[in-house]
Amino acid sequence: MLSVCPYFHVHQPYRIKQYRVFDIGNDNEYFNDSSETDLNNRRIVEKVANKSYRPTNKILQELLDNHPDFKFALSFSGTVLDQFEAYAPDVLESFQKLIASGRVEVLADTYHHSLAFFYSVPEFERQVLKHKKRVQELFGVTPRVFRNTELSYRNDLAKWCEDNGYIGIMAEGWDKYLGWRSPNFLYQPPGCNKIKVLLKNYKLSDDVAFRFGNQGWESWPLSAETYTDWIHSHHGGAETINLFMDYETFGEHQWEDTGIFNFLRTLPHLLTARADTTFRTPTETVQSYNTVGEIDVPDILTWADTDRDLTAWTGNDIQRDAIKAIYDMEPKVLQTKNKDLIEIWRKLQTSDHFYYMCTKWSEDGDVHAYFSPYQSPYDAYIAFMNALSDLQLRVSHSLTQQEERAKERALKKEKLAATLEEVPPATVTPTAVEPTLHALLSTWVSGLKKRFRSLLDFFHKK
Amino acid sequence: MKVLTFGWDFPPSRNGGLGVACYGLTRELTQNGVEVIFVLPKRQDVVGNARFVFADQARNVSVREVSSFLQPYHQAESQVHYIESFDIEGRPVIKSRTIIEEVHRFAHQAALIAKEETFDIIHAHDWTSYLAGVAAKLASGKPLILHVHATSYDQAASQNVDPGIFKIECEGFAAADKIVTVSQFTKNIIVNKHGVPANKVEVVHNGCDTTEPTRYEPSLSALKSQNKKIVLYHGRITIQKGVDYFIKAARRVVDIDPDVVFVISGWGDMTNQIINQVGEMGLSKHVIFAGALWEEERDRMYQSADLVVMPSVSEPFGLVPLEAMQHGTPSLISRQSGAAEVLTHVLKVDFWDIDQMANKILSALRYPVMREQMVKEGKRELQKMSWHDAATKVFRLYRNLLQYLTS
Repeated sequence: MLSVCPYFHVHQPYRIKQYRVFDIGNDNEYFNDSSETDLNNRRIVEKVANKSYRPTNKILQELLDNHPDFKFALSFSGTVLDQFEAYAPDVLESFQKLIASGRVEVLADTYHHSLAFFYSVPEFERQVLKHKKRVQELFGVTPRVFRNTELSYRNDLAKWCEDNGYIGIMAEGWDKYLGWRSPNFLYQPPGCNKIKVLLKNYKLSDDVAFRFGNQGWESWPLSAETYTDWIHSHHGGAETINLFMDYETFGEHQWEDTGIFNFLRTLPHLLTARADTTFRTPTETVQSYNTVGEIDVPDILTWADTDRDLTAWTGNDIQRDAIKAIYDMEPKVLQTKNKDLIEIWRKLQTSDHFYYMCTKWSEDGDVHAYFSPYQSPYDAYIAFMNALSDLQLRVSHSLTQQEERAKERALKKEKLAATLEEVPPATVTPTAVEPTLHALLSTWVSGLKKRFRSLLDFFHKK
Repeated sequence: MKVLTFGWDFPPSRNGGLGVACYGLTRELTQNGVEVIFVLPKRQDVVGNARFVFADQARNVSVREVSSFLQPYHQAESQVHYIESFDIEGRPVIKSRTIIEEVHRFAHQAALIAKEETFDIIHAHDWTSYLAGVAAKLASGKPLILHVHATSYDQAASQNVDPGIFKIECEGFAAADKIVTVSQFTKNIIVNKHGVPANKVEVVHNGCDTTEPTRYEPSLSALKSQNKKIVLYHGRITIQKGVDYFIKAARRVVDIDPDVVFVISGWGDMTNQIINQVGEMGLSKHVIFAGALWEEERDRMYQSADLVVMPSVSEPFGLVPLEAMQHGTPSLISRQSGAAEVLTHVLKVDFWDIDQMANKILSALRYPVMREQMVKEGKRELQKMSWHDAATKVFRLYRNLLQYLTS
């Protein structure tokens, strides 16, 4: 038996508008670009909904309806779910319907598509929890298999997942760590005994995700039949073919005119035409197979470019500066206990912001080789740092207010204590009380007299 | 291969991009075995290993007294003397009749030189040499390459384009066998404005010398010690260079950060206008006019500045950001420039977008990490923009042209 385990990652960040230095301290909105550019988040979600989410979900629904064997997994960032809710509620509903079939698994993730695990584990935990609650509330399911932002992975992340009850975790099936071994089996992370690692078959995944529409590719145009043959050829030497890719592969990265929709529409039928081939969700995959060995990943592994590390996000000085600035804020932001400020701070943690600052490719003069809504990595950094500066102002303002409130409270307490001191407690001897009480009474009476006198004066004048 | 080259000026004379480009290209071509005969209109000091011919001395042509208009960038500086009228916005209409006379004289001498010398190909730099190139072609029948370093549209910032220069450009482009522009930006101008067929035009971006410059004691140390930040403009003060936009942005900057000082190094026909503008906008405390700085003084200023701005309205290439980078200072440059096509590690802005220009100046001053990275990665980028590569492209062009014509 050979099983195929497809998983599609759905994500949109909150892109920061061209936030200027003049806006610091004057404008609290960082994500509300309303221009005709790709910085306009609503515009992007609406565009991608039409090109990708709506047509793809329609096909996926048909496939679920017509092929009882068809199964797959989805992972959502919280930021995309929030944007669906705000800008395309019908898309969210169509996802809910897919998941209600019981054959679509939802994976665990960070809410804000962040790299928090590598910078602050407590913050990472808070984001995973928030994501879990959101998935439960929207889809009524609890994720059991974990995938981290950009498929980033390290031994200690697997350990964390095992300790927190996850049965599986996803990672890139990268040769550097696999050596001669195949990604088409389950592996065990060192120091763990329960959790299993599902490795992406990057060759077969990227054939669809990256190369499908590339006319310069030797296998172009790729038919569903050929692709089925490639997968079937693994019979006997593999247990699971893990096809991990961005959901937006369908219709957005690969446009409709590449034939990607027809490819998706016909593939499940062709794959399961062979009786010994089936689809499995990640949880089923984990439950179906034993691990065949250990995979030791001491350094960060991701699914990005040929380096398969974090250099696309943290490879240059401005990226490291920005990411350090955001995580340095953690104690103060949390101290404000202000939900809005904390949420904005988290939205700024989304990995895309740092990706836009990448200069790795620009040295080859190939600046447009990567997708960014900004005209340059420096423009991305300026918008980010200016917005961050404003957030820092708001945080320190909030903390000052907190302090002032605390001071006021302390002052009140002191006053109260002082008054209480003036009125010594009942335990003291009555002789001591009497003069004090007398004094208080006499002040009160003289005050009354004064007021009465002024009242009398008033009437006399009349 | 022997090339008869016409140019208007050449280092070490104090000049801008044109002479530097001619020098860089000629040096690399000669190193690659190309024989260059470089013809200049008048005797001057020169450097390098081309053979120089000076048109005012070479033969039985009466030697003229050196005209003051033959200084580098004479077009701009001479216009004060040749205002014929003013446009609706009060800007002088540029007339360059006298320079055109010089250009014709140069062309006349070029025809004579072309008959005396033996060569395979003619290469003429900048509009002042186009007619010389055409004359040499008519006299010798050899193929002609015109090298466009600027156009009449750049000089006039697309307003009141000098009809005399425009006519010379059109005639030259028609007679040329191939045209080289220093950027796609300039190619677009001559295709759209002069109607040159796009396939006749090759883009050869300027190169850059990457020798590490001498470090000097910083200028303006008094300002620096007060923690003032220095933003430098270096270039001619003409309508083409967009200094007026720079001053408007300066106002926006100073409103936010009064500790910024703007230094203007250069001179030109708009100097008085800019001085008035600075006064009117209440910026006198924040803008320093340094005059035209050259060599060590210029380099010191480059090294002292925190940011260099090139706000050009229309810039065929623009050496300033490259020079600044070599001196370790990052730049903010206009997108309406050839340099913007090849430089990644600079900030870019549309020259008319005062708001973003001010935002990017302020941001660059706020975030030192970004400035450092722009210089660090920018220097690496400069390494790849050698004159050697530019010369290789030009050499290939020579060869193709010769093959095409002899077959």
